[in-house]
Amino acid sequence: MRLDHIRNFCIIAHIDHGKSTLADRFIQLTGGLEEREMQAQVLDNNPIERERGITIKAQSVQLHYTARNGERYQFNLIDTPGHVDFSYEVSRSLEACEGALLVVDASQGVEAQSVANCYTALDQNLEVIPVLNKIDLQNAEPDRVREEIEQVIGISAADALKVSAKTGLGVADVLEEVVLRLPPPKGNPDGPLQALIVDSWFDNYLGVVSLVRVTSGSVKKGQKIRVMSTGRDHEITMLGVNAPKRLFKDELQCGEVGFIVAGIKDIFGAPVGDTLTAAGNPAGLEALPGFRTVQPRVFAGMFPVDADDFEDFRESLQKLRLNDSALQFEPENSTALGFGFRVGFLGMLHMDIVQERLEREYNLNLITTAPSVVYEVLRTDGDVVKVDNPAELPEPGSIDELREPIISARVLMPQSCVGPVMQLCMEKRGVQKNLRYLGSQVQMEVEMPMAEVVLDFFDRLKSVSRGYASFEYEFVRFQAADLVKLDVLVNGDKVDALATIVHRDNAYPRGRDLCERMQDVIHRQMFDIAIQAAIGAKIIARSTVKALRKDVTAKCYGGDASRKRKLLEKQKEGKKRMKQVGSVEIPQEAFLAVLGVDKKK
Amino acid sequence: MSAIDLALYLHFPWCVQKCPYCDFNSHALRSADADVPETAYVDALLRDLDFELAHTPEPRPLTSIFMGGGTPSLFSDRAIGRVLSEVNRRLAFAPDIEITLEANPGTAEAAHFAGYVAAGVNRLSMGVQSLDNALLKRLGRIHDRDEVFRAYELARAAGFGNINLDLMFALPEQTLAGAEADLRGVLGLAPEHLSYYQLTIEPNTAFGAMPPPLPDDELAWDIQEQGQRLLAEHGYAQYEVSAYARPGRRARHNLNYWHFGDYLGIGAGAHGKRSADGVVRRRARTKHPRAYLQHAGGPAAVQEDRIVGADELPIEFLMNGLRLNDGFAIADYADRTGLDWSTLAPAETARQRGLLAEADGRVRPTELGHRHLNGLLTLFL
Repeated sequence: MRLDHIRNFCIIAHIDHGKSTLADRFIQLTGGLEEREMQAQVLDNNPIERERGITIKAQSVQLHYTARNGERYQFNLIDTPGHVDFSYEVSRSLEACEGALLVVDASQGVEAQSVANCYTALDQNLEVIPVLNKIDLQNAEPDRVREEIEQVIGISAADALKVSAKTGLGVADVLEEVVLRLPPPKGNPDGPLQALIVDSWFDNYLGVVSLVRVTSGSVKKGQKIRVMSTGRDHEITMLGVNAPKRLFKDELQCGEVGFIVAGIKDIFGAPVGDTLTAAGNPAGLEALPGFRTVQPRVFAGMFPVDADDFEDFRESLQKLRLNDSALQFEPENSTALGFGFRVGFLGMLHMDIVQERLEREYNLNLITTAPSVVYEVLRTDGDVVKVDNPAELPEPGSIDELREPIISARVLMPQSCVGPVMQLCMEKRGVQKNLRYLGSQVQMEVEMPMAEVVLDFFDRLKSVSRGYASFEYEFVRFQAADLVKLDVLVNGDKVDALATIVHRDNAYPRGRDLCERMQDVIHRQMFDIAIQAAIGAKIIARSTVKALRKDVTAKCYGGDASRKRKLLEKQKEGKKRMKQVGSVEIPQEAFLAVLGVDKKK
Repeated sequence: MSAIDLALYLHFPWCVQKCPYCDFNSHALRSADADVPETAYVDALLRDLDFELAHTPEPRPLTSIFMGGGTPSLFSDRAIGRVLSEVNRRLAFAPDIEITLEANPGTAEAAHFAGYVAAGVNRLSMGVQSLDNALLKRLGRIHDRDEVFRAYELARAAGFGNINLDLMFALPEQTLAGAEADLRGVLGLAPEHLSYYQLTIEPNTAFGAMPPPLPDDELAWDIQEQGQRLLAEHGYAQYEVSAYARPGRRARHNLNYWHFGDYLGIGAGAHGKRSADGVVRRRARTKHPRAYLQHAGGPAAVQEDRIVGADELPIEFLMNGLRLNDGFAIADYADRTGLDWSTLAPAETARQRGLLAEADGRVRPTELGHRHLNGLLTLFL
């Protein structure tokens, strides 16, 4: 295929703005799948992705489009992850493209996440075509949204395309515009092999499969290649494209996007963003720009409810990591919760997904502690250490300075929300950096401690803006702050898994709220349970769970033993998600109660 | 030869109407004046007993018989007499056998009382439940306060020297004073035995589907403590979670359950338990009266027949034994389960948490353990 007959592009869209439906239409129009093979939303392969309407792993589809000029073009449509937690993966997907379709719901307008991704696309010199979707809806406002795109993103939207992916209206025109407006890939087809690893995943049958974009030369079946960051050579055993059915080929040429299989054992052998060359890199090529290893920013302890599940848990995490290089874990031993793992995530959504997969796909019954960010501690001896577990914070006496991660956040919202959102950001120790009025929308830039975002910021933002504010952020720096460790004691025993690090100004109210919440979630037991919040040796708040007066079945049911036993077994079942701490049974919710401490349920 | 006692439970599945709190195997008669199929059912009971004994002959004499329901007192004294004499042709009666019949405290039933005594029934158990007419109505009972007093009087006159009354507390919107009045009213009758138990809302009942407003846990507890005090003052000793008796008047039939003794269960939905050669076997009969009438006497009337595994025996034994304030003798545990008490690991945890006490060869629930029996028992699951 000649380079000028290839178009590599992606779709940038907010959740629910219709990315998957549009992609499905493209596949249908170009004849990639028979009607009966069309499964709604072909691109989202993982059931959790499909349910949540988000993409975790990048996928690509090759389509063949015959344009109105009679020429046949190869389209490579690359799907991008759609969430703030996966911004590095997004940037690597965009790197494989020359253009992007910015899909905006014509009834909703632009949202922060697509704005952020669009900025990244523009930074990487992609040509962006705005597409107004859902034009068939009664409340579609194409003119307003067009204006919004121009004001918020700063690109011309005069010739934005109006489509309805649902009805198919205008979709054919989009394909035509891709040919006309997006540039073809550049590169020397006869040069030495150079390719970008867009994504890698583990396939049970094939081993590691990598999605690559050939930027120079070509890659052939049987060829020996080198993964630049590892310096290791591998032989390509299979390569091909998804059209969207898997199609094996002998060669991927310059400018093309496809998958390779090279006998690589784990995804760390083919990291996202890395560069491939011919074995030994004889041409002495440089790595493609932008490669980095991702750092987890949020950590939580995860513990099997049943201690016997520990080894299963370890195996499950190892399996998940086959496909998720951002997932980090190391064993953690909690006095309250026993043996488990300290697991690192990119963000809250990533944590949610991992937790859900462990429970659903691996059938594990887990207790997850409240997530914590990573703190930097300057010790009095001059050492700087990272602490991702509040329980492991050094004694106050040996801390010279405690630093917390600060993020820069961009909130995009209707004007009517500015007041409450600003108030929320201030409450979260935010510092406003910029406020721009962009038509009917307002964009606020604010610096905030990441710990506050991890706490309950997303939910609160959603509620104060009635769902209209959108949000994206990036880490900027560590910054010294007056932080203290807030301990929780249950019947006098410090429960390490309930410890949190909070700002001193918030310690008292948070301690009080925490005690109240614990009182609500800890069931009444045979004895009074004292709950205390403490900073060091100083108790700052307390509450009591009064003893249950009795817990006994009144009737004896005569000779029917089985039914009484069923009652007991039900009771026992209810205790399954509880953890015995000393003599007190603490339910799973208690460990997460730390999360929502600011306001009542 | 085993020293384990043998009892007989006979189930009578019909009631005039179903109470909204009841989840026992009871079936409302089609219309108020319909009669129970008395002869057919008694025949079925006897065929079923023959089947049970043919399967495993039984040389032990019966120490007690309990006729429960449903409402056994819907059956005439003649029918009950025939059941008892036919049972006695098949099984020996211990000289001091206790034979209890459950009765609704209504006047219609009371007409049978003298006949029941003549038939050999020597203990009457009446489901009073409350003396508050409004509450009785709410509980779906067909009797009222006055009928209780009349039926009780008639029972005494008929010659019953051993009477149990069932009384519930923590009833819908019941107050502490209301509960006290109920209990004092019943104590005034001076029965030999009282079952004083808290109303429990069961799933699959009318109350379960639409729960009435009940006293909260604190009030229910206050009512119970008040009741325990009153009962003790009147000479009734608590010996089980819900059972109180005058000296020498403990319910022998129920004690046999709690001692993990053996019992034959005959009748629709009846449960039996027998042990032989170190094996404990449980059998349950088919629940629905019509199916039971059809199949009694053959294996099709047996709905469940299973051997209790050695791993289940401790919890089954303790579910019963720990209901008693006095607990159980360690020797009985070994005798009835074939297992060694000293190797039962959760027992140590229970002792450490102050739920169990051991002394003089007996294991007793502590006051705390008795109040939190469910929690204590789950340790052994």
